[in-house]
Amino acid sequence: MAIPSDSEAGPNPKPVEELGTESATNDEHRGEDEDEIEEEEEGDDEEEAEEDETPAAQRENINRLFRRLSGGPVRLRVQDIIIRGNTKTKDALIEAEVLDAFRSACSMQELIQAAGLANTRLRQLDIFDSVSITLDSGPSELPGTANVVIDVVEARNPLTGEFGAYSKPEARSWSLEGSLKLKNLFGYGDIWDASGAYGFGQTSEISAGVSLPRFKAISTPLTTRVSLLSQDWLKFSSYKERLLGLSVGLISTGNHDLAYNLTWRNLSDPSHMSSKTIRRQLGHSLLSSLKYTYRIDHRDSDLRPTRGYAFLSTSQFGGLGPDSRILRFIRQEFDVRGAFPLGFYNAAVNFGVAAGAIMPWGKGFMNSTSLSPERFYMGGHSSPICSLGGPTSLLGFKLRGVGPTDERRAILTKHGEDVATTPSGRIASPGGDAIGGNLAVTTFADLSFDLPLKLFRESGVHGHMFLNTGNLVDLTLAEFKNFSFRGFLETFRSSAGFGIIFPTRFFRMEINYCYILKQLQHDHGKTGIQFSFSTP
Amino acid sequence: MEMVDEREEEAKPEVVLVARKGGFGLPTACPVCLPVYCHLRFANVDFKLEFDRANPDSGTCIFAASLPLLPLLLALTLMFIYPCSDHIPYVEYGDYVTFNNEKGGVIECLNEDNVVKLDSQLSKDCFPDWASTKVMISTWLAEAVQYELWVSCDNTIADDIYFSDLPWPIGKILHWKQTQAVKQLHGITKLNAAEKEEEIYRKANIAYEALSMKLGSQVFFFEGRPTSVDSLFLGHAVFVLHVLPETSVLRSSLSKHANLLRFVQDFKIQLLEDSYSSATGPAFSSDASSSSIPRRKGSKQNAKPKPKEKRERTEEEKAFRRRAKYFIAAQVVSIVIYLSILGGMGDSGLEDGDEDGLAYEE
Repeated sequence: MAIPSDSEAGPNPKPVEELGTESATNDEHRGEDEDEIEEEEEGDDEEEAEEDETPAAQRENINRLFRRLSGGPVRLRVQDIIIRGNTKTKDALIEAEVLDAFRSACSMQELIQAAGLANTRLRQLDIFDSVSITLDSGPSELPGTANVVIDVVEARNPLTGEFGAYSKPEARSWSLEGSLKLKNLFGYGDIWDASGAYGFGQTSEISAGVSLPRFKAISTPLTTRVSLLSQDWLKFSSYKERLLGLSVGLISTGNHDLAYNLTWRNLSDPSHMSSKTIRRQLGHSLLSSLKYTYRIDHRDSDLRPTRGYAFLSTSQFGGLGPDSRILRFIRQEFDVRGAFPLGFYNAAVNFGVAAGAIMPWGKGFMNSTSLSPERFYMGGHSSPICSLGGPTSLLGFKLRGVGPTDERRAILTKHGEDVATTPSGRIASPGGDAIGGNLAVTTFADLSFDLPLKLFRESGVHGHMFLNTGNLVDLTLAEFKNFSFRGFLETFRSSAGFGIIFPTRFFRMEINYCYILKQLQHDHGKTGIQFSFSTP
Repeated sequence: MEMVDEREEEAKPEVVLVARKGGFGLPTACPVCLPVYCHLRFANVDFKLEFDRANPDSGTCIFAASLPLLPLLLALTLMFIYPCSDHIPYVEYGDYVTFNNEKGGVIECLNEDNVVKLDSQLSKDCFPDWASTKVMISTWLAEAVQYELWVSCDNTIADDIYFSDLPWPIGKILHWKQTQAVKQLHGITKLNAAEKEEEIYRKANIAYEALSMKLGSQVFFFEGRPTSVDSLFLGHAVFVLHVLPETSVLRSSLSKHANLLRFVQDFKIQLLEDSYSSATGPAFSSDASSSSIPRRKGSKQNAKPKPKEKRERTEEEKAFRRRAKYFIAAQVVSIVIYLSILGGMGDSGLEDGDEDGLAYEE
């Protein structure tokens, strides 16, 4: 594919915007600009030297070139981009990935940077085994120009598989996952994948999806996924959740993420023990929502941040569609983290505040409340430092162990047995269901420091002390008029403790001693030693 | 005891019947819910009616072996995602709940738990007849209604009763699923559809004749007082006469028996019309139909041994599982400590930062 220059009147089969505007006028620059420069990628050794030059002369040429480059900008623009090695991948895809990078380059230094950026973008497509970009001299009749030669080696085996154990906030537990990927089936950088996950006792999922690096006018990656998900919350909330969903990732850049979800959900209670609140919510529902996430993370590490800050905002709007029977709600979460070093023993203080609220909208929304699966839950052993996922973590409390509950179904006494003779002297009631809340706030403060042993310091094992607080309430909008901020503060739960952290390449394990400072009647907090596994 | 004492001090919990929504001039239009409604009205129970609009399943599971490939895959997917569960209707009284898919149904549970005692003190002489009549209504007539509702009639009636409050795509898929399930249940295929239909209606006609002969000129079917047989038949007959279309074969069969029609008309006015006040009570002897919901204090109620046995066994299992978890956790922790001390800290944070810097930062 040829990129026409300004002065050329030659035919161009594909009308493409021009690259660069000026050509070098200095003969000395022109001569030096005609030298070839290579960039080696992935073990390729491509040294082109003139046939008559000795190695010493080559080194002298290269040294002269580097001196020239360091002396100031060397005017150069791209004349042509030549793509080689792509038998299946469309030229347009590769050009679209690299064109922006080379368009603005008008000097040798900028070209080298652009080449590095283009190389990274092509490798991130994940469809090539290797990518090599060579800067070659342009036509002799066009001084001050260069050709960019892109050599790609397409993946020899487009089918790959992975299998492993993961811990994800979405799965809420550890899970075994396996996936198959089929890369570049149609040559558009499309990646098809099918995956299955089994979470011990709680979650199982089968999903399939396709991702495209760009789609027509949309220059950001586009993903589509269909999934079947089953989550077992019988132990905590007396219901099982089954979802059949279609999600479309519309925008996915470094900071912004916009996705559409269409999900058919069914809540069932095979145990027949659910509380009244859960019983009223059993059945089928349709969720059609748009979710926007804005995320910045300028911390120096995900596993042990010592400086920087992070911010997350998640907004979800449910009820998209003409059918008024689709679930209607608005959900908003904020999460702010910060870390700063103390300057001794590699100590650092991490702190964070997270809050979230959900409310229904539509007819009768003032007195209605959202469904339990959409609400906030608090508890579990995930570290608040690693996961940037809203007001969910509260160390020391069991999963879904904080917040509003409702009494489960009563069990009658035996025939002939007087109530007075039962152990408790009352009708047996097997606990309560966690029903979640629509207003949640958590905060934490954590002091991390190196341990005295050199062995631990070299391994990254360190200690920490922490303080967690959080509150979760259930309010309808009508009840919100009588909301008491003081009462809300007084019902905050809190825990404190200390522990040792073992960071590994893939996850972070903590052994903590948690002490429950405050909990309410139906909370499930426990003082003692706890293990926590987190992934960033 | 303390809990019960506190309850007595508070307002007495009300009885709530959660059923599918009303329609066609009836308080509930579902043929499974109507008998329970009638049963509570016969027992003179003061209850509140609430509707469940999100559970349209009617308890039949689909066995998709005979379907073509694409519907088979869809049916298997639906089976996996949405297993059959028909707990509607159910009755609540405080924390006490009885579901329709437990122990033979809500009416059976209410009888066994002595909550509603319409079937108590039946004489030994009429018990066999009563039991067989009940089975006949619960099987032959119920299957006939199921056939007409899901297979024979057009889709509008089932849509109005079960799916009108669900989003359109869900309603359509579930309707299809339920239709297939009913066909599977009755063994109906394209080849034997006419034969099966004839068999279903033949049984229904036999049932109507038998019931007409049993009722005669009496007010109730057995012992001059309402029992669950009366509730079941009244619920069935009201549905057939008021919900099924005039072209319904079942409706025309029932209409041939004047005494059955009289039975329906008499009690429909008394029990199902909006103007009927539960405070006046039905005009029948209420000796054995004591409908008082017993207080929990001092009541000798039937046992539910299964849950308690399960609880005893589960405690031992829980202790064993807890110990097993601690053992496995200790092994995993020791391995992780060993690997992390030898392996060193991961540098994934720095790598991620570098890649992000090169990628799309603008």
